[in-house]
Amino acid sequence: MSKPLGKTWSAVVNGEEKQLNIAQTTRLVDVLRTHLNLTGTKVSCEVGRCGACMVLMDGEPVNSCLVMAYQCEGREITTIEGLHGEQEGSLHPIQQAFVEEGGFQCGYCTPGMVIATKALLDHHPQPTQEQIETGLCGNLCRCTGYGGIIRAVCKASESCGDSTIASTDDGRNERMTAVQQD
Amino acid sequence: MLLNREHSGKRWHLRPDGIPKVTGQLQYLTDMTLPGMLHGRVLRSTYPYARILSIDTTKAEAMEGVYAVLTSKDVPGLNRFGIATPDQPVFCDDVVRYVGDALAAVAADSPERAALALDAIQVEYEEFTPLDSTDAALAPGAPELHPHGPGNVLHRTEIKRGNVEQAFAACEHIVTETYYTPRQMHAYMETEGGLFVPDDEGRLNVYAATQHGYKDRMQLARIIGCPEEDIRVVSSPIGGSFGGKDELNVQPYGALLALTSRRPVKMHNSRKESVRAGLKRHPMKIEMQTGISREGIIQAHRVRITADTGAYATLGAPVLNFCTEHCLGPYSIPNVDVEGVSVYTNNGLSGEFRGFGGNQAIFAVEGQMDRLAEIMNMDPWEFRRRNMRGKADPGPLNQRILATDGLSQVWEAMDRSELWQKHQHPTANPSLPPWIKRGVGAAIAMHGAGLGYGIPDPAGGRLSLNAEGKIEVAFSYEEFGQGLIATLEIMLCDLFQCSTSDLSIIIGDTDRVPHSGSSTASRSTTMAWMALQRLQTPFRSRVLAVASVLSGIPADELVTGPGGVWREGQLPSDVMAAKPTEQMTVGQVTGTSLVDALETSSLSVDKTMTSGFVIAYTELVSQGTAEEWVFDTHFDYPTTPDHVVGGHYLYTYAAVAAEVEVNTLTGEAKLLDTRHVVAAGPVINPMGFIGQIEGGSVMALGFTLTEDAVMQDSRYLTTNLDTYLIPTIRDIHTNLEVEAIEDLPEGDPFGPRGIGEIGSVALAPAITAAIHQATGVWVNRLPVPREQLVQSLHVPLQEGVSPS
Repeated sequence: MSKPLGKTWSAVVNGEEKQLNIAQTTRLVDVLRTHLNLTGTKVSCEVGRCGACMVLMDGEPVNSCLVMAYQCEGREITTIEGLHGEQEGSLHPIQQAFVEEGGFQCGYCTPGMVIATKALLDHHPQPTQEQIETGLCGNLCRCTGYGGIIRAVCKASESCGDSTIASTDDGRNERMTAVQQD
Repeated sequence: MLLNREHSGKRWHLRPDGIPKVTGQLQYLTDMTLPGMLHGRVLRSTYPYARILSIDTTKAEAMEGVYAVLTSKDVPGLNRFGIATPDQPVFCDDVVRYVGDALAAVAADSPERAALALDAIQVEYEEFTPLDSTDAALAPGAPELHPHGPGNVLHRTEIKRGNVEQAFAACEHIVTETYYTPRQMHAYMETEGGLFVPDDEGRLNVYAATQHGYKDRMQLARIIGCPEEDIRVVSSPIGGSFGGKDELNVQPYGALLALTSRRPVKMHNSRKESVRAGLKRHPMKIEMQTGISREGIIQAHRVRITADTGAYATLGAPVLNFCTEHCLGPYSIPNVDVEGVSVYTNNGLSGEFRGFGGNQAIFAVEGQMDRLAEIMNMDPWEFRRRNMRGKADPGPLNQRILATDGLSQVWEAMDRSELWQKHQHPTANPSLPPWIKRGVGAAIAMHGAGLGYGIPDPAGGRLSLNAEGKIEVAFSYEEFGQGLIATLEIMLCDLFQCSTSDLSIIIGDTDRVPHSGSSTASRSTTMAWMALQRLQTPFRSRVLAVASVLSGIPADELVTGPGGVWREGQLPSDVMAAKPTEQMTVGQVTGTSLVDALETSSLSVDKTMTSGFVIAYTELVSQGTAEEWVFDTHFDYPTTPDHVVGGHYLYTYAAVAAEVEVNTLTGEAKLLDTRHVVAAGPVINPMGFIGQIEGGSVMALGFTLTEDAVMQDSRYLTTNLDTYLIPTIRDIHTNLEVEAIEDLPEGDPFGPRGIGEIGSVALAPAITAAIHQATGVWVNRLPVPREQLVQSLHVPLQEGVSPS
């Protein structure tokens, strides 16, 4: 394989400075999966619809299939491998909640879903139903029907009390109530 | 029992694949790489229907970095595949029949070079007008897509009973309707792919997802022209399948490219290629005519099913069999005239998909029930009750089936439910604007499991104490997300009172598992349970006998437990039960099963401290030969004793109710409250059970409201997930409850019934019934056309009131 055209690309990936000699048009998802062997980031639709390749760039969620190397040059990238609890090697509370509530089945959407949840809870530690739906509607899951995912997000948010639910209509309220009872 | 985490108590079992999945550490087969591996790509047809005049690969072969370019002449064995009928060419050499047909494959040292090489292959075609509908394919004079006709018919089915003509003549009311269902896509998140590795001993290692590893091995051996034993198929973990990875997809190409180049080859379909080449659910047209007596008893049922099976057979014939069986619903009907036909067209490839033809049939037959009840001015649930089959009645194909109370139980449970009461006593909601209308509908279904009479459906498994002293089970089943491994853990811990750390679970690897059949047709849990029932006694006898010899304690005073053999009545769990204070330890470990909790509790830290512990599994296994610790069983999935091909014996029963809100200004329908009642025997794994029903329900919601792989002139217009719309988190029900009915007949030998499909088969008719109650519109086509739900407002818009 001949050397790709390019120059040195650098970014902070999961807290570590990374330097690569790659084409500046390389997609971030390929940088991660192919060049850095971080295969926790998945590839599925490649058009930015499904969220399987979602990572955090400077703390904001992006679909890494839509970001080219030059667009994330010098940025701070967090992938699923970079997420952990208080100690490295322990689960982040979001990951713990997904395990406990069964917020996954095949698991292929799960890294992106967990990353999206991280971004959601960073912005809204006690999200409303509407905020959960907005925060996660860019992530498709074909297995769970989202029930376990919603329960996991509620579990992960520090408090799931009634007072935090600013419901938009009666129907949506029912789902939250059901979630809390579990 | 209303199924949720709270009610599940200690049975809420954390999945062993959970941590690897939430941390991204789990390596899927499409994540695998090897140094020096090549990237494989497949050249697919430009046209849906054409003659191939020439294929010129010389330019591609001469390109730098290209290690293999293959066409039909490079297939050493059978240039065909197909689980039931091998009629799909690995590489087409004369005619292409759909846009996913393969003509050539390349392997190169980078994905870019592989793509460039594909572009360099020159194909000359003579384009034909595609048969873009079943009507076009069945028209007189239509070209025949396959030589094995007659016509473009893959398969026909028929059920005839009584005298339908006479019965219709005597009927008080007859409902005639034609139902149309969409080309639904599986849309598993992980597209097809894997790694193909030839090894030094001349064997081929295939790491690619499938639902039946041994079947893939057989098909690949047939294509390569080698003994099956020369191939190893590793097929789990899988990023979703739902039937879609049951048939071969990239495997023939990866295998041939790897063998030719003598290097590892990676294949991984893009989503677009997955859509273009992959299976879909059969679009069906189902014409039904159903007649009832003055008392509302069904007298006659005439059905005509036309299924668009696309270019090749795959499991089109069994899907039609299943649809035919299920279009009678769970009803006793004396006069029946059903004919089905599965038709070859140039429209993609239809095949196996969760529900397997039941989804289409149940949508149609339940639609008939609601229409008939309306004519009778009768409550639709009461109408169903009057016509339901009796417990001891024969099955839909007049075959003997296992008698259970499942049908009446799900009917009664739904009848009692608050949600169904809402249908019977709709209350006007004055806070809703006049264009928002709500209704509740319900449907009932019986769904067969297993492959059915006359189709080889082997089962079995292996239970052993392995060299590390672990209780090891091996099955040829797959983990595609459903939670099989967790279910096996629960079953084994229940049987042997052991802890999860005592277990070794082997699946999805033809070198390491016995042939126990496929992970399809909602069969794996039942088959694993039945296998373990057969294996537990000989296994336990041996364990306890050896423990008895070594310890001098009589075998009948010994039991299996965590870490080894214990004195009866002195297992840690027994001791815990006697000491309530100790239970606090367990209670503090949230979401963990009892045996896992014991692992971490002081009681099991030092087993010698506990007088009941006798001997460790690790010590036992050093006695005798390894073979003496291995126990195998082989049997078949139970089928009806009657000679009815495809006839099932075990059924799962379900009732589904849905409340729907329709916006008659936009035609949008939204699912509110949803309730699934499922009678499937004991719930082994509640987390998995809920997940299957919730996931199946939302998949059915997509089938009902948004999903259709639209084709025009036999080409896909919806080529990716941006236009093919599966439900997002915003689109789902507002609330969903799962009620499990666990009763089985006394002494039932079959255990937990399949639930992989039942959640997805009966929601559509419940939704369309709810839409009817809300709007008065009968919907006969899925996905529900919004245009049909738009209504004029009939009220003058007032100032300050604007449509939402």
